[in-house]
Amino acid sequence: MAAKEDKVIAYDRNFGALIRDKTQSNIPVKSVYGPQDIEDLDYQRDLGAPGDFPFTRGIYPEMYRKSLWLKSFIVCYATPEETNRAFKKYIAAGQTGLRVLTDTSTLSGVDPDHPLAKYDIMCNGNPTFALTEYETMLDGISMENIDFESANSTPSGSFFTYVFLVALMENRGYDISKLRGTNINDPIHAYIVYGTPEFPPDLAKKINLDLIEFGIRNSPKWHQCTPCGYDMRDAGINSIQEMAFVMGNAVQYYGDAINERGVKFDAFRPMVFSMSSESDFFETIAKFRATRRLWAKIAKEKLGATNPRNMSCRIGIRTAGNSIYPQKPLNNTARITMQILAAVLGGVQSIDPSGIDETFGLPSEESRIFELDIQHIIAHENNVPLVADPLGGSYYVESLTNELEAGTKSLLEEIDHIGGMWECLKTGWLRQQFDKTTAEIQNEINECKRLIVGANSFQGEDGDISKTIIEGAYKVPPDEKRFGAIDRVKELRQSRNQEKVQRRLRDLARAVKEDENILRPTIEAAKAYATLGEMVGTIRMAKDLSYDPYERIFEPQFLNDVIFERV
Amino acid sequence: MAEKGHKIRVLIGKVGFDPHDRGILILSQGLKDAGMEVIFLGKFLTAEEVVMAAIDENVDVIALSDHCGVMRLIASDVTDLLKKNGATDICVVAGGIIPDEDKPLLEELGVTGNYGMGTPMAEIVNHIIEQVSDVRGT
Repeated sequence: MAAKEDKVIAYDRNFGALIRDKTQSNIPVKSVYGPQDIEDLDYQRDLGAPGDFPFTRGIYPEMYRKSLWLKSFIVCYATPEETNRAFKKYIAAGQTGLRVLTDTSTLSGVDPDHPLAKYDIMCNGNPTFALTEYETMLDGISMENIDFESANSTPSGSFFTYVFLVALMENRGYDISKLRGTNINDPIHAYIVYGTPEFPPDLAKKINLDLIEFGIRNSPKWHQCTPCGYDMRDAGINSIQEMAFVMGNAVQYYGDAINERGVKFDAFRPMVFSMSSESDFFETIAKFRATRRLWAKIAKEKLGATNPRNMSCRIGIRTAGNSIYPQKPLNNTARITMQILAAVLGGVQSIDPSGIDETFGLPSEESRIFELDIQHIIAHENNVPLVADPLGGSYYVESLTNELEAGTKSLLEEIDHIGGMWECLKTGWLRQQFDKTTAEIQNEINECKRLIVGANSFQGEDGDISKTIIEGAYKVPPDEKRFGAIDRVKELRQSRNQEKVQRRLRDLARAVKEDENILRPTIEAAKAYATLGEMVGTIRMAKDLSYDPYERIFEPQFLNDVIFERV
Repeated sequence: MAEKGHKIRVLIGKVGFDPHDRGILILSQGLKDAGMEVIFLGKFLTAEEVVMAAIDENVDVIALSDHCGVMRLIASDVTDLLKKNGATDICVVAGGIIPDEDKPLLEELGVTGNYGMGTPMAEIVNHIIEQVSDVRGT
């Protein structure tokens, strides 16, 4: 009898006791904390006032009194026309940031007529396979005074977002030094999370640095590289790994840019990290505080920042996508609300919440508005952001902040010892880190040592509210519409000046072979309406790789002439 | 087709460009823990590659996963090819983000399970055992 009770205990609605004595990242915690837990804490050294080194308490003296966090979300519809209408609507409503997201096929580095593309054309975004699509998507929209946030995570995704934005600005007569916004440009995280093979590691490393170098010289208001901890966290790691890998990647890219391209760290805009706001409330708050403190020290001591502004980091969060479950979806409202609250208490600079219906499709419009309203309620009804770092000094939160910093520091030392994050990726160490933690978390879920309300415990039937949530999500458009992108790319190849395309691709191939910065020739090829798949293929062939990263199709005939400079 | 009583062989593969592979990694471990043999093909595959590998590897089950809401397209290509190759004794199960309105069509194609995230591993394991038992007639 006893054994049976043990087994069903987590499923019992009336069960009143807690089952965990550790945080979500398995940091053991006591039932109460007191002065002895933070006796070594030195206010000036370890916390400082908000706006002062080491920025534990926030990066601005008045924090949210001066300006609230940026309320952000991806506007990703299936066609450039739909996206354009949505952009205009949100700009009219006061939105100043536009998040650009390409569909899953194009993000993988190919054109819509690739044989593997047909399933995912127009899924999760629009197929921006050539400059024509950016022209339509940004038709009638000023490219000044807008923050363009690229949500395109793959190596080719980050590269071409910048290429197309700059090409369009130049074609429209804008000064590209006025380009504002953020690019992800974090190829190491992309390998782990997406695994698209279009630019193998050495090529991806070069392109990462080309983007940083070209960006800092030509569009200094644009964040050329904002390492993405969020995607890695969502793939199944813990808080300490998330902090160590996102900072390890930043040290790798910016360190390489300093050493190999001769730029100074002070020349960059302050670091931006994308991170996850998770369900473990206090651990999440402590994570943001510990990230700021540790990064301030790394920027100063390791990367040579001399300006305090460049020792601070801005944190943009998404609420944890993998915490959203399809079982009893109404419960997602509670998860998202708590995750947003943790982000605000942790002093982050931008918040992009999940939709409560996100496990059924793209969030519906009402679900988007609800995400915004949660933030309005926290700001204007709950009065949470009135005071900077309101949990600073809490025995528990300070102790947890120390613990997360110490754990991250020691993991970063291990990464250093291996030879940096590129080495960690190449040796398979990074993959092992993910596999180990993912399995650990999943086993806990399977064994009900980690409860997911509605999924592995407290289950129940969906009622009318849940059914409405399920039905309301935005679904992929009808197939006829989706396959229209295949016709568009074929038409484009027929209608453009082919001779010009070949000359521009020849210049690109030459730049790759001679190991020059490839941004300028790629931008020129994009202006001649070379397609994304052709540009990826040209870069690959110039490196003696197959045209198609997936080895399913052959190069177009003309590209051989291009690569061997017969044009 | 594996003989009665043999370990259940499951091929796990993702068709198309959806990169979300946490689900198949977890599933692979869960099925191995349950004593099944897993042939893990990974992602970025065509439907042909999945079906041909399933036939070559003599599997009992193909497990598909998709988070882009297009399982109906993937499943209809896979089941079509199974029919053309006379391999309809291979069961097809699916999971990921599968729109509710697509589920009747999937069932009609003979694609079962159609699980969402958070489905207990034991439920998936039992489902696969039942499907295979039906085919094996045990």
